[in-house]
Amino acid sequence: MEYKNILTTCTYCGCGCNFYLENLDGSLTGTIPCKTSPVNEGKLCIKGWNAHEFVQSDQRLTSPLIRREGKLVPVSWEEALDYTASELSSIRSEHGPDSLAFLASAKATNEENFLFQKFVRAGVGTNNIDHCARL
Amino acid sequence: MIEQVQQKVRELLEAGTIQGFLGLREQNGHIGPYLFQDPEDLEGMSLGDRERPGDTRYPLSKLLLTLARNYPQASLGILVRGCDERAVNALVAWNQLDQDKVVPVGLACPQELAEECECERPYPEDPVAGKKTEPVAFASVARLQELEPSERMRYWLREFDKCVKCYGCRDICPVCFCRECSLEDQHLIRTHNLPPENPVFHLTRAVHMAGRCIDCGLCEQACPAEIPLRILYKKVGQIMEEEFSYHSGETTQKSPLQIADNQ
Amino acid sequence: MTNSIGDIEEADCILITGSNTTSSHPLIADRVYRAKENGARVIVADPRRIHIAHIADVHVQQRLGTDVALLNGIMHVILEQGWQDQEFIAQRCEGFQALRDTVKQYPPSTVEEITGVPAQDIERIAEIYARAEAASILYCMGITQHTTGVDNVKSLANLAMLTGNLGRPGTGVNPLRGQNNVQGACDMGGLPNVFSGYQQVANSDANNKFASAWQADLPDKPGLTIPDMMAGLEDGSVQGLFVLGENPVMSDPDADHVGKALQKARFLAVQDIFLTETAQMAHVVLPGVSFAEKDGTFTNTERRVMRVRQAVDPVGDARQDWEIIQQLSNRLGYPLDYSSPQEIMQEIAGLTPSYGGITYDRLEGHGLQWPCPDSEHPGTKILHQERIARGLGLFHAVEYQPPAESVDEKYPYWLTTGRIYTHYHTGSMTRNSPTLEREAPEGWMEIHPQEAQKLGVSTNDRVRIVSRRGSVEAAAFVTEDINPGTVFISFHFAESNANILTNPATDPVAKIPEYKVCAVSLEKAA
Ligand code: SF4
Ligand code: SF4
Ligand code: SF4
Repeated sequence: MEYKNILTTCTYCGCGCNFYLENLDGSLTGTIPCKTSPVNEGKLCIKGWNAHEFVQSDQRLTSPLIRREGKLVPVSWEEALDYTASELSSIRSEHGPDSLAFLASAKATNEENFLFQKFVRAGVGTNNIDHCARL
Repeated sequence: MIEQVQQKVRELLEAGTIQGFLGLREQNGHIGPYLFQDPEDLEGMSLGDRERPGDTRYPLSKLLLTLARNYPQASLGILVRGCDERAVNALVAWNQLDQDKVVPVGLACPQELAEECECERPYPEDPVAGKKTEPVAFASVARLQELEPSERMRYWLREFDKCVKCYGCRDICPVCFCRECSLEDQHLIRTHNLPPENPVFHLTRAVHMAGRCIDCGLCEQACPAEIPLRILYKKVGQIMEEEFSYHSGETTQKSPLQIADNQ
Repeated sequence: MTNSIGDIEEADCILITGSNTTSSHPLIADRVYRAKENGARVIVADPRRIHIAHIADVHVQQRLGTDVALLNGIMHVILEQGWQDQEFIAQRCEGFQALRDTVKQYPPSTVEEITGVPAQDIERIAEIYARAEAASILYCMGITQHTTGVDNVKSLANLAMLTGNLGRPGTGVNPLRGQNNVQGACDMGGLPNVFSGYQQVANSDANNKFASAWQADLPDKPGLTIPDMMAGLEDGSVQGLFVLGENPVMSDPDADHVGKALQKARFLAVQDIFLTETAQMAHVVLPGVSFAEKDGTFTNTERRVMRVRQAVDPVGDARQDWEIIQQLSNRLGYPLDYSSPQEIMQEIAGLTPSYGGITYDRLEGHGLQWPCPDSEHPGTKILHQERIARGLGLFHAVEYQPPAESVDEKYPYWLTTGRIYTHYHTGSMTRNSPTLEREAPEGWMEIHPQEAQKLGVSTNDRVRIVSRRGSVEAAAFVTEDINPGTVFISFHFAESNANILTNPATDPVAKIPEYKVCAVSLEKAA
């Protein structure tokens, strides 16, 4: 029996409610609102209460995919990363860095967004980065 | 106070009487539910008093139910205030928990908390810590009772109208154990819009709480619409008492609405 | 937000506009309920009779896209009655005369004609808002998603400054950010013109600072916004697109058009957790992890930076997003070598003044609200307390402009879009959550009974909705909560994607598309 409650922040709206995710033997079994959160004080909305439900859904992507003959087929990480990098490099060398564009994410963490813009600006060499801030 | 609880839990864990103890622990700057399996962890234990007594109560008996459903053979300890003990008893009465597998460690509430909760039994049977204090009557129910029926109806309709349909009152409730919930029956209550149909959503839940609600007040604290749900369910409890002399959770005796012949 | 979530409870008056608060920000609605209990007056200005309007002291249903006119009308009354805060204006603002001249042209009777809001309601709003000790404004996408979105926001700021409702508890102009980390994604420089902390790429000091920290030459010309990227894909100037956790095929206006643009991409890579509509079009799909499988931070709408903690192992072969980015960068010849998100946060703090004092240790407990410039700073609950950030608050005299698209004979109904309480954004997470999907498995179109009768439809009947860009089908939901002449659909459902209909016309400054207004025709579907 391995049972843990891990305090985290909701992935849905901009309120940013805090709750515990219940992990029983590696499965997420529930969500418990954090009573001492300055944001939600022990309350949640329907999305927050069910925030654990999609995490282990059988619809999740579990392996990298590459399009072959029109279909997306599973491949190894090495292959997917090599392919992605080589496509980005060849477009960059043929048409310059500004022929590439990148969408950051309002659902990703601060650290991921920061790293992503660093990669785009310093690694690729373009400022073509934007995200759905306007939605 | 906490030392007595820690001591008791340490003994139970070390003797192998229980495989784990559900209580509260301070972590990440917050107090949250925790399964103690290693006596070393008892260091950070909390009784759920942060700024005021009992201001960080969690539905521990509901978490216990999750564990018991997955590990029916395991004996588990649990920190119980009066309401938590009533919840465990009610879950036993409703065939959800096996009493022999639950080892309560009791904590009596201070008068201040009993007043705030209007609690008729602010202590468990046999507290390991705290002192049994005076029961407090349901003054909030009595106050609403003074309103004319039509005015009272208007009051509740106005309150229910704020509902954002989070189902939090159900999800946090230690005695809401049904695997299929009538509140989600789309023939009974239409979905898609806010507020949920008024008052059928709330009265359905109220009816289902008859003989079950043990007056912990967690639903009201979880309600993002600030609806005084505890008063509603206290009233349900009062009806059960007046009509059937039944007090859910006081013992593990079955409710008269569950099995007629329960003497 | 200029103020904090908890601070809403201190308000004596709350003006909610363009925010369906109980559906989209339920835990902010909670604070509104509490404020109301404490005696605050609530004003709701929204084209629909949304749920929070049930507790409003005044609720007005302005016509779609007429917000500037309504706000100018309210300010007209305030100035006429002398309810403005003269001291605040004199000491902390500039440009007052121009504002005064403009709003003079908006007497309530004129505004009533434009907005459909009765003149006496405009007067009541002016009185309640201006005479409150502390008045707070809450707004959301119903204000920003217009071709006049920036004008709308400026008008709200005008109203707050005019009455001195800024920089004190219970006041402020408070945008409710839609997505959980939209604030953070902006703060971190997920924008074409700025590094983290809104440091301009075109500013040579900022550019040099980042260039030397990152040991790379950095471009100083601002990059493309999303609409420009789509145009670039179409004309071939953009050849490759890399999408991290977004779903533009569903979420962008005129979705069919976006789909066509993406089809033109020579290379499309998508990093996400589900095979979204956009991922289905990709050449390569990289499986990242959900919030429950990662460590990091989110920044909420009150600028509070809070920890996200890994609660469970990633599913299958899914990989940490920061590791994927790092591994790609290494392959492109720009090596990155972080060992954890915590280490990335150290770099963020070092390069971003407003995050300067933020460390994971300090985020335990309640998190920190930026600006938090150093390790002693307690964070900032309320912005603009002593002075407005830019020095003096500038009034912007704003004239009313009608929406980009108007109803006509062929498209006689106004369409507006939004969220419902159980779903989120393009639905990739909520629709894979059984409880949420059961609660609302399909999109509905809200329509007034009068119009429903004309079309011969009742609740549950299928209706075809057609705009200049495309058409979708949805089930009708007949309700008096919407004005006759206007219909509403939510944008979560691929089967009835609202954004096939919406107008990609954007605000000239902020480039926000006009999701909230377009013209449609309706017919009963067979
Ligand atoms: S629980 Fe609901 S209100 Fe809270 S952050 Fe999540 S989506 Fe927003
Ligand atoms: S008070 Fe509320 S949460 Fe507690 S048992 Fe009764 S209904 Fe359930
Ligand atoms: S907790 Fe409150 S808002 Fe949520 S469903 Fe229950 S009554 Fe409604």
